Amino acid sequence: MSSAVLGSPRDYPEPVTSWLSASRLRFALILLALAAFYSASWHLARVEPGKLMTGLPKMASWAAKAWPPATDELPVLLQRTAETVAMAAIGTTAAAILAIPLCVLAARNVTPSMALYYPARWFLNALRGVDSFVFALLFVAAVGLGPFAGVLGIALHTWGSTAKLWAEAIENIPPGPIEAAAATGASRLKVVAYALYPDVAPSMVSVGLFWWEFNVRASTVLGVVGAGGIGQELKNSMDLLLFPRLFTIIALILVTVTVIDHTSEWLRRRLE
Amino acid sequence: MAAPATRVTAPSNGAVIRALDVTKTYPPAVAALTRVSLTVHPGEFVAVLGPSGAGKTTLFRCLTGLTRPDTGSILVNGTDIDRVRGRALGRARHGVALIFQQFNLIRRLTAVENVLVGRLAQAPTWRVVIRRFARADRQLALRCLDTVGLLDRAWARADRLSGGQQQRVAIARALAQEATVILADEPVASLDPESAATVLESLRSVAATGVAVVASLHQVHLARAYADRIVALRAGTIVQDAPATQIDARTLEQIYDRNGEPTEGAERP
Repeated sequence: MSSAVLGSPRDYPEPVTSWLSASRLRFALILLALAAFYSASWHLARVEPGKLMTGLPKMASWAAKAWPPATDELPVLLQRTAETVAMAAIGTTAAAILAIPLCVLAARNVTPSMALYYPARWFLNALRGVDSFVFALLFVAAVGLGPFAGVLGIALHTWGSTAKLWAEAIENIPPGPIEAAAATGASRLKVVAYALYPDVAPSMVSVGLFWWEFNVRASTVLGVVGAGGIGQELKNSMDLLLFPRLFTIIALILVTVTVIDHTSEWLRRRLE
Repeated sequence: MAAPATRVTAPSNGAVIRALDVTKTYPPAVAALTRVSLTVHPGEFVAVLGPSGAGKTTLFRCLTGLTRPDTGSILVNGTDIDRVRGRALGRARHGVALIFQQFNLIRRLTAVENVLVGRLAQAPTWRVVIRRFARADRQLALRCLDTVGLLDRAWARADRLSGGQQQRVAIARALAQEATVILADEPVASLDPESAATVLESLRSVAATGVAVVASLHQVHLARAYADRIVALRAGTIVQDAPATQIDARTLEQIYDRNGEPTEGAERP
């Protein structure tokens, strides 16, 4: 750069900053607070690395005992795996259907009235706040042991989560096309069905697939509370220390989850 | 409760827009429009010129009933748009089609599906929900696309079209609404010169069919080339309302601060 472009140098005034500024003090305070938080958490979580040192060899011996994996019960275990996938599919689909009206109420830009918006949001947050595991625990008590309790648990939690994510997808779409459609004098229902839906449909399907995938993973543990599926077999094998059987179950879960993850990811990519 | 529909059949002498002494002041004391009177007849192409902040957008909002003027009256198709509420207002708005600077098409739908938005208000709800419009509506939509010269792109997705093509789809959408008035707020501001020319050409041929077109423009030469009449706004008052051929350089200097071009620094988001 030639000085002809920049002009001749002179002494430009700069703001005076002291070494101990308010922002540095604030940063130090935040660090202190974080240190206190983690030290408290460490004690509350009773982290004892020593226990891990004695526990690891135990696990290694289990792993050694687990080979070769038990295959005699494979048909039963496959049926239990199918049960898990089915629980996730039915629960997620039921949740998606229930979420359609709720997501419209809970989206600020299309809600018919703010008097419906806030209750809808509170309701969805309540559903989201309780994990499907906890719901399943309650439903096992209400409808008895078996996958149906798991379906209900998944459906309720996913209902809240899906509707909230969908409402956010609706709130994020550009307002222009909606305004243009509304300006023709069309009713709100027509505007939502015709102008809004095509814009949000891909992200809605994507969110739905994500929750199905997530629920397959989540429902592998629902069996632990008696809500059927492969999780129940997992708990039984662990209780009876049947390590070869446990090995087969974990391998089945891994394969299923991987296949479902890839299928869902592939489908979501195809949505562009 | 919506107020009773007051249909005022005023002596409008065939005018589709008749604004009388419209004044609008935004709090605390920003005079957006001061005693603006404007009459537009069917088939007229009126260009509204003026620097940013001159009151163009407020005028357009008043004409669609989105903003209510403090004083004065606005008759659109004989209806006092300031007095009607609810369904009557919906009906009145249906007679006025809007074209936006950013086109506002539904990007994942095809051109012809976007044009069908103009038929939403009349179509039965079940047809809208299953996206199956009556044959008459579909044919009308195609005819509208034909009018703006885009029949060959009818089944292309809106986001695959160029800016100029998208704006012509928006014009076709306004035509499908079968409105008597098309209001276009800076329809070519985000287009390149060539696309701007085709869009204005389309608007002019639409006006030739008897629709009144009111468009706000930033470029004086475009207004002179395409419009029948130029209405010049400055600081909320009409400083000139004359046939496009009679607008002279001195008047333009009056509208803009220099050389007939809007002052860059005066641009507002």
